[in-house]
Amino acid sequence: MTNSTLGRPAWSPATRYRRSLWLLTVRDLRVRYSTSALGYFWSILDPLVMAAIYWFVFTQVFDRTVGAQPYIVFLLTALLPWMWFNGATSDATRAYLREAKLIRSTKIPRTIWVARLVLSKGIEFVASIPVVVIFAIATGATVQWEAVLLPVALVLQAVLTMGVGLIVAPLVVFFRDLERATKLALRFLFYASPIIYGLSDLPAGLHFWATFNPLAGIFSLYRAAFFPEQLDWFAVSMAAIISSIIFAVGVLVFNRTERAVLKEI
Amino acid sequence: MADDVVIRVEDAGIRFRRNRRARRSFKDLFAGRKRRTRPGEFWALRNVSFTVRSGEAIGVVGRNGQGKSTLLKLVAEVILADEGRVHVAEGVAPLIEITGGFVDDLSVRDNVYLTAGLHGMTRAEIADRFDEIIDFAEIGEFLDTPYKHLSSGMKVRIAFSVISRLEEPIILVDEVLAVGDKGFREKCYRRIEELLAGGRTLFFVSHNEKDLRRFCRRGLYLDGGALVLDAPIGEVLERYNADYAE
Repeated sequence: MTNSTLGRPAWSPATRYRRSLWLLTVRDLRVRYSTSALGYFWSILDPLVMAAIYWFVFTQVFDRTVGAQPYIVFLLTALLPWMWFNGATSDATRAYLREAKLIRSTKIPRTIWVARLVLSKGIEFVASIPVVVIFAIATGATVQWEAVLLPVALVLQAVLTMGVGLIVAPLVVFFRDLERATKLALRFLFYASPIIYGLSDLPAGLHFWATFNPLAGIFSLYRAAFFPEQLDWFAVSMAAIISSIIFAVGVLVFNRTERAVLKEI
Repeated sequence: MADDVVIRVEDAGIRFRRNRRARRSFKDLFAGRKRRTRPGEFWALRNVSFTVRSGEAIGVVGRNGQGKSTLLKLVAEVILADEGRVHVAEGVAPLIEITGGFVDDLSVRDNVYLTAGLHGMTRAEIADRFDEIIDFAEIGEFLDTPYKHLSSGMKVRIAFSVISRLEEPIILVDEVLAVGDKGFREKCYRRIEELLAGGRTLFFVSHNEKDLRRFCRRGLYLDGGALVLDAPIGEVLERYNADYAE
């Protein structure tokens, strides 16, 4: 079956997927930056304000006993990746509802609607890494060889975030309440994850259970770039296992609900 | 198996809920698609089978709510059948919900690149056709205007213009062309005729007998979610008129 006179050479599905994903991601970023004058700064302002608050509370008000020195770098190395996870997950609750019109008019693989959120938030995260570097230079923190683990952390977090997104996005279509439940769960997870503290600050009895939170292992990888003592290989292995399980569950949920989602939106 | 079959629908069926607000449970959602119909659900289409060869022009006929648009969406693969199979061998340019892909905050120019890109065109291909697309839509002065500031007529015009330039071998047309003024509608029709002359396969849903006879050779008559008659368009229209004559 050739279409020599009509159409273009057919794209392989993988190329098509990659191209569509890229187009939508660029669109996301462009919409965000074309509608606000400060553009890039908004994406780093939020974590900066949060970091300033925690820095003030934990170093100026309370006598801090958690984390490591310099605390602002310690905070940012987990807070920025947290913004990625948090942003992508809360946007995933509206992934299908917001784009309903577009989804009803194209047949591109439906996982793209989640993948593009993970990717665009991921790009914003990577774009915010210079902020950490600036603070590290300003406070005299030194980069360790463990910084080469950054790609591992990025991959693990992308897999985890994609898995969570694939679970949340279709289910919200049927259970609108899940949107608020997700927001609440995220707020809880913020304090349940080693962001304002380190995994090693937890009481010994809690330590094992805390590694069931895949973010614990992932953040310890990010932090190892400046604080090698934060690296916890047990937590990292747990993060890899649990992220893969969540991803597998996400794919399953997505496949089982795809038909129903398309009818509903 | 004939090698020029481009659309093959085998025993397709799709089921919808009668009441959107009806309770839905987790069990429902994950139950396999082989399960039986439950109360509150109905088959919008069932046991529909047909094949379409490359270059055919097909009109879909039936009263409101008999599954015409659903069939079109199945062929466009924007919804998926609950039973049976729908196989579409070539690219589809769906003139269904055509304004759906456009983003309010982006300019017309960005939107053209985005929508055409999502349908599989490369930047170079779009750049080649860009002037043609804009000329056809007659909105040359509004290239850098955000899409949301266009009038509704302009929105439809630019959308039709983009989708109809996709160079896909199959075009699906739902009654979108009822919008827009008379002059533009005639222009759209001429464009569809051009595409047909160029060897495209057309799948056309309409209530307008004149349009159906103008474009289509073969008709599919849907009634009660079933394919009642698959015959030349004249015969199909006669049967339809006979069934619903007072």
